[in-house]
Amino acid sequence: MKRNTMSYKVQLFCMFAGAASVLFLAVVIIPFIYGIYLTLTSWDGIAKTKPFVGLANYVEAFKDVAYWQALGRTAIYSIFAVILINIVAFALAYLVTSGIKGQNFFRAGFFVPNLIGGIVLGYVWKFVFNRAFVAIASAIARGTVPSPLSTTTGAMVCLVLVSVWQFAGYMMLIYVAGFMSVSDALKEAAMIDGCTPAQAMWNVTIPLMRASFVQCIFLSITRCFVIYDVNLSLTKGEPFNTSVMAAMHVYNTAFTYKKYGLGQAEALILFAVCAIVGVTQVYIGKKGEVAA
Amino acid sequence: MRKQFKKAAAAAFAVVLAAGVLAGCGGSSDSGSGAAEGATNITIFNSKMEIQDKLEEKAAQYSEEKGVGVEIYYSSDTVAAHLATRYSSNEPYTISMVDAKDVYALAEEHALDLSDQDWVANTTQAISVNGKVYGFPVCVEARGIIYNADAIKNVTGEDFDPTSIKTTEDFQAICDKLIAGGMASPTGVMKEDWSLAGHFMAEVYEQHDDPDAFIAGIKDGSIKLAEDKKYNEMLDTFDVLRANNYAKDAAISAEREVTEQKLAEGEIAFMFGGNWDWSVINAYDYSENMGMMPVPNNSGDGSNEKMVGGGSKYFFIDNSENTTPEQQQAAKDFLSWLANDPEGQAFVVNDCALVPAFSNNTLDVADPLGKSVKAYADAGALIGNYNYLPDDHYSIVGASMQKYLAGEIDRAGLADEITAYWATAEVGAH
Repeated sequence: MKRNTMSYKVQLFCMFAGAASVLFLAVVIIPFIYGIYLTLTSWDGIAKTKPFVGLANYVEAFKDVAYWQALGRTAIYSIFAVILINIVAFALAYLVTSGIKGQNFFRAGFFVPNLIGGIVLGYVWKFVFNRAFVAIASAIARGTVPSPLSTTTGAMVCLVLVSVWQFAGYMMLIYVAGFMSVSDALKEAAMIDGCTPAQAMWNVTIPLMRASFVQCIFLSITRCFVIYDVNLSLTKGEPFNTSVMAAMHVYNTAFTYKKYGLGQAEALILFAVCAIVGVTQVYIGKKGEVAA
Repeated sequence: MRKQFKKAAAAAFAVVLAAGVLAGCGGSSDSGSGAAEGATNITIFNSKMEIQDKLEEKAAQYSEEKGVGVEIYYSSDTVAAHLATRYSSNEPYTISMVDAKDVYALAEEHALDLSDQDWVANTTQAISVNGKVYGFPVCVEARGIIYNADAIKNVTGEDFDPTSIKTTEDFQAICDKLIAGGMASPTGVMKEDWSLAGHFMAEVYEQHDDPDAFIAGIKDGSIKLAEDKKYNEMLDTFDVLRANNYAKDAAISAEREVTEQKLAEGEIAFMFGGNWDWSVINAYDYSENMGMMPVPNNSGDGSNEKMVGGGSKYFFIDNSENTTPEQQQAAKDFLSWLANDPEGQAFVVNDCALVPAFSNNTLDVADPLGKSVKAYADAGALIGNYNYLPDDHYSIVGASMQKYLAGEIDRAGLADEITAYWATAEVGAH
């Protein structure tokens, strides 16, 4: 059989990747393109007609102050959350690879929050902040201490905390793999050459784990930018709509306020922002990667 | 030969996997009940979560007795968003339960004209668009102050007469009396945006003789909201609620369930709400004598003797080619069974504990809040709902009301924010 013909290659592709490609096309690419088309209409989400309005939705999206506030808020939230998630995850990974007793148990324990769905997690933490925190803090302060969820900054801090708690375990696994991939011989060599453990960590282990950092930061950035479930169940945008993140604003615009075209246009802008930030970060991160 | 077989097997395997994935996507978690083979089958979309179980039970029984398969579906999604997905997949429900504003938005395109139905004459709450009846009112709901008469009696030692509370001063006086008698905080305020803006602030519009003109006045600046008589009178009463709120130190983190539990158990005596709150209150150890009264105010225009409310949740029948004439007929039969058949009437009132919207349904309402509402409705003391507020009103004005509730802005600031909202918002077509 000739292996160099077009038909052979097509056959081969169809056999291995055909089904996956069809599915990917059907559930991602086509809806995405159709979504772009919907941004050009003033569809309300349910009417039979989808009046074509050109770029009016984009103009309106750029004028939508609440949307840009939500996007700015999401960016601030993401900066804090991404930094904290990665610091905590790295520290946890260091801890559970350092050979302490029962480290497998700890690994499982730290990972568990990630297995709980965001909605459930939000409600659990809402209870913690609204009841447990209030009860304990009020007892200590001998007066009524309001729930942190009732203040603007408090709600944002709570969101960051819960996200860190949720994602740190997952990122920890990637860092654990990173730690394991760095050969002990290299660290030992560094120590013999006179490095302190801290210097060995900073100059040998961390540079070799660069791939893990790139991956974790990419994952945490993209996840934080599109946060919705925890946002919905923990704060629901309250107080005074000051904890509405970009994804929630998009959902509200498209479905609750029945401006589907506008919501879709805002979603596309969110996608673009998210993609630009993510890709830039990966590009910068990859550039300096070293191979062991 | 062997290779060919392997290839075919691999291809077949891939197809099976793909089919599995697709089947997984198509699966739905809808709960249906008893569709009869061969007979006409209709689907009903329910958006009132608290009656889902009763509705499923009744549908099974109805299917058996009438030979018409009835399947009930429920979704916790936004009603319009959920229906949109059904319409875009050409699978509309035969009958859909929606909110009043959805009827105005959907009726002309999607709903069947029900003007010729015999129940139309027995209700004042049906929704018509351009002279055609499209919406079948499921029940009547109204807003007012919910009170716990037992809790009040325990403190004051006197029977509570809700009709004695007419003005803001009356309301303030009873609160003071309760505090003097040992009740720490007599009121609760729900911080939910739909309650604050969708229900309380909406009363400011609705209590005007012509809400359309009032809103138009705010829009064009001819009415200064901050100086509006009704606005200030209603907020005076709101201030009494706010000042006596058990959660006034952290009004924004008060949870609805906790507030209703306190009301049910008599720890507080008053809360602004509606008869739908009964579905929350009855989950707790509630007091025997509870009820609803109009929001007291100093307007002197009689609005303090009327509740605000009317039809709530509407059924409409799909008119698209996806629904056959037989299905449409079966759907009409089902609606007229609900309105006219003694069994259907009993289902609405006894099983679902709703206040009926039809004058020929004279059964006694079971829950105390519903009883109050029915008494006011029967006496003609209901101010109609204003069903044309924009979809984002409750959320955006709600946020402003929350700021007012938390004391972050004053009355003038609130008026400014609401006026700013109306500068760009448009009321729904009607």
